Amino acid sequence: MSKAACRHQWTMTNVRPGYLVIEGCFHCRNRISFFSQESVAPIDDYHEGEHFWSHLAHYQASQFDLKCEKCSAEVPLKEVMALMLCMKCNPSCGVYAAGTQKPGQKTWVYAALCANTSHSPKKCISPKSLSALNEYFNQGIKDPAKKIVVVPCRLRKSVDTCQGIVLADFGLTDLY
Amino acid sequence: MRVSELVKKTGLKTFNEGVDKEITGVYISDMVSDIIGIKEGHLLITLQTHKNLIAAANLVDVAAVVFSRNRIPADDVVALANRAGIKLLGYDGDTWSLAKKLCELKIG
Repeated sequence: MSKAACRHQWTMTNVRPGYLVIEGCFHCRNRISFFSQESVAPIDDYHEGEHFWSHLAHYQASQFDLKCEKCSAEVPLKEVMALMLCMKCNPSCGVYAAGTQKPGQKTWVYAALCANTSHSPKKCISPKSLSALNEYFNQGIKDPAKKIVVVPCRLRKSVDTCQGIVLADFGLTDLY
Repeated sequence: MRVSELVKKTGLKTFNEGVDKEITGVYISDMVSDIIGIKEGHLLITLQTHKNLIAAANLVDVAAVVFSRNRIPADDVVALANRAGIKLLGYDGDTWSLAKKLCELKIG
């Protein structure tokens, strides 16, 4: 079957356990994150151009790719740092707006978080990745009224006031 | 087997109403980052009572969540589960003894 014509049946593949590491620059106040597969999360501060990155937090997390069981198409999701459930804290936020629903519908919006919350490089999660994530998380839902919507984190109005729930393991590695 | 039937047969505690879903399998994990890979309709057994867990359980459309070792979810966790229609159950014993019970009932 051609990959373009396939109605994909996605499955998780290349599941990679590791850490979601968050760093902040005290100079520009930007925050970045990356996924580390080291056995212990890196916590060192470092200097990069105009930035002075300091470790802010790290959580156990996992990355994965999606593969179609029918046509073997693969979508690498290295750019997705984590998923975050929107808690509808701000009606003027783009993530909140993505969940506007018709009566009787139960829409849950999850933001796919990219590495750079400032989005200064004008990059976020690609449409191809978002499309695969939406198909994957909706393909098995039994309730016809329930819908999962995965949107890029660039729609988020404020990283500082957002009350979304990040799907990562908080507190499990505090002993380190 | 539906969740309501499981509750009758095992005497699990219920923390909310939730939706009475069909159980298609069982998954045991205490890590949110692990839970996002499970199949829909699974019964999730865990020690974690954090709100993150409900956010992940909703994403993968679990049948219900069972907190073992007498863990009790906080009110905000129950409220989020109510919004998601996820039934929250409790078991006083350890996860292994619950797993044995589920095997005896041929669940999973």
